[in-house]
Amino acid sequence: MRTRMPSTPGVVVRTAGAVMVSLLFLIPLLWVVASSFRPGNSAFGYTSPFTFEAFVPLGGDVSNYVALFDGYFVRAVGNSLLVAAATVVFGLVLSVFAAFALSALQFPGREAFFVVVVLSFLIPFDAIAIPMSAQFRDWGLANTYVGLILPGLANGFAIFVLRQFFLGIPRELLEAARVDGLAWWRILWQVYLPLCRPALVGAGLMLFLSQWQSYVWPLLIGSDTEHHLAPIALANLRGQLEVNFGQIFAGSVVLTLIPGLLLLTFQRHFTDSVAATGIKD
Amino acid sequence: MSNPRSTRRIGRRLGAIAVTAGMCTLAACGGAGTDAEGGSGETVTLQFVHPEVAGSFDPLVKAYEAEHPNVRIETTNVPFDQLQSTLQSRLGQGDTSIDVYTADPSRIPGIVARGQLLEISDLRDEAEAATIPSAMEPNIVDGSLWSLPIWTSSQYLYYNPDLLAQAGVEPPTKDPAKRWTWKQVTDAARKAQAAGAEHGLLIEQVNRYYQLQPLAESLGGGPGLEGDDLLTPNLTNDPWITAMNWYQDIHEQGIAPRGIAPDQMGPLFSAGKAAFYVGGPWVIPGWKEEGATFGLAPHPYFAEGEPTTPTDSWSWGINPNSENVEQAKEFLRWAALTTEGSLATIEKILIPPTNANAFDKYVTRLDESVPGVTDGAGDLMLHELENTAVHRPPSPGYIQFEEMMVNVFEDIRNGSDVEDRLAKAEDELATAFSRLR
Repeated sequence: MRTRMPSTPGVVVRTAGAVMVSLLFLIPLLWVVASSFRPGNSAFGYTSPFTFEAFVPLGGDVSNYVALFDGYFVRAVGNSLLVAAATVVFGLVLSVFAAFALSALQFPGREAFFVVVVLSFLIPFDAIAIPMSAQFRDWGLANTYVGLILPGLANGFAIFVLRQFFLGIPRELLEAARVDGLAWWRILWQVYLPLCRPALVGAGLMLFLSQWQSYVWPLLIGSDTEHHLAPIALANLRGQLEVNFGQIFAGSVVLTLIPGLLLLTFQRHFTDSVAATGIKD
Repeated sequence: MSNPRSTRRIGRRLGAIAVTAGMCTLAACGGAGTDAEGGSGETVTLQFVHPEVAGSFDPLVKAYEAEHPNVRIETTNVPFDQLQSTLQSRLGQGDTSIDVYTADPSRIPGIVARGQLLEISDLRDEAEAATIPSAMEPNIVDGSLWSLPIWTSSQYLYYNPDLLAQAGVEPPTKDPAKRWTWKQVTDAARKAQAAGAEHGLLIEQVNRYYQLQPLAESLGGGPGLEGDDLLTPNLTNDPWITAMNWYQDIHEQGIAPRGIAPDQMGPLFSAGKAAFYVGGPWVIPGWKEEGATFGLAPHPYFAEGEPTTPTDSWSWGINPNSENVEQAKEFLRWAALTTEGSLATIEKILIPPTNANAFDKYVTRLDESVPGVTDGAGDLMLHELENTAVHRPPSPGYIQFEEMMVNVFEDIRNGSDVEDRLAKAEDELATAFSRLR
């Protein structure tokens, strides 16, 4: 049952302060959205100094969005969706198996393996991207979707999160299942996964976002236009000699909207995940 | 616990994604390379890497493929800010999937030293006959030709006639003999600001050596690098300090704005926010489309010095590891040394080509860009290229130099002590260059 907080002056002031801070964070986003409806570079007519029209696109149009959908950008967004979706699917399979092995199974060196996993996600990917891209080129994986997807699959952080979630499942359940004669893969499928779906959603979103925001790797390995991912296409809207800020704003809105919608769609499962974590054991 | 219905929905969604992703992945895992052309030999696919917006070279590709039916050109645009690092990384790894790429002429000695350009001296005679003379020099290292110049550049002083009229300022003319000094520009800019202009002066590439080198050169300060090998930094001579003090003053006094990135300068000027703008001719088509009001005049200079202007643009070279060297060389030759090819490179970008015949046609096109405004702009550019243009120093350390100078200019623009900052840059450069000797 919900309880109402008393409306004391302190609460009112704090709430008003929180709302003000939230609005301050929204201002840059509002400017980007409004400017995405200003054709070409005309958004700059309302800056320096900023005027009301910088945040309200009165008299604007959708020409930037129309221009974006001319093929190149749409293809790049499609590529990003494909790469991110494939990473979520195959990455989750890998992460689940790894996390299950590192939590439910008992074998010598298990903790050492886990330390390796933890260390793997502490190494900045950008630091190893260049030598790794040489390896991928040698394997003929440059300008292929496999080359773009592969490095995103083994995500140490996703394994870490799932393992911690699996460890929260009472071991008695596992032992009872073993006594009943269930094979390991059925224990995973029928006992662990149904209990951990919210964690799977969390790990899946992590995998999705890691590929959606990826920049250095696709720049090195997905270099032909057909394999450009969305962040590269967005950066390419700015040439050395010409730049169309209206399209850049519109592209930014599109690239923000897609993960935003995804997060909103799965928001409740995140909440479930947090709540469920709290009542285990 | 999670809701079973909602978890089933998640399962269905993930399942659908899995099937789609799997099918798409299997269907789409193709690589680039050589395509067979039914029955009549093989079609070679050349990979060309550049930093312009997608589609900039479509006219070139179309024209070239029409004349060379067995060659396909695939263009790849890499964002300008990441171009050098991406190319260095890929070429350094012996990447064979790049055939032709754009190279900044001032970086060519450094790229040659790394072994990342194919020598093309067999094209030298033809290149010297077809190219405007000043453009060839940066492409020759140790007596050999390593790349072909494609474009060159110069800069104008643009002004907003409405803002100047509002301030009662007579605008400058296109006559190079009546070229304005920087003092005239800043005086007029102040008046325009007093009459309502938001900014007095916008400098297009406000933190890049390309644009700011002429300030010190105008006063006789040299390029900042000296010695036979151009590996001795000299940034603390009086002209450099004077030029940088002026550069700092215009920002401190609010004539030029701080905190605005180079690519936002043009849009601000076309929006009528500034009295003056120093920049290249490539802004003209965009401003025309946006209905901007502008006039143009020669690049300013310091009264106590000589007129100097930025120059050079991209050259194109061949990856030594290319598997299609002959086809790449022919593509490069056609784009740089034939009138048709050279004109195709500038069909979408209003930048001067280095091909002499194409340059003449470009001058006409530039003059006719905005009737009543750009008339005579071509002659003015020719005058600048022949008389006032200063090349950037062809030093093997130019790559480090240019990257370091961006920080130096930004620091000075934002208030660092000029002499201290230049001295610090000299020390840092000396350390960096010691590894190159």
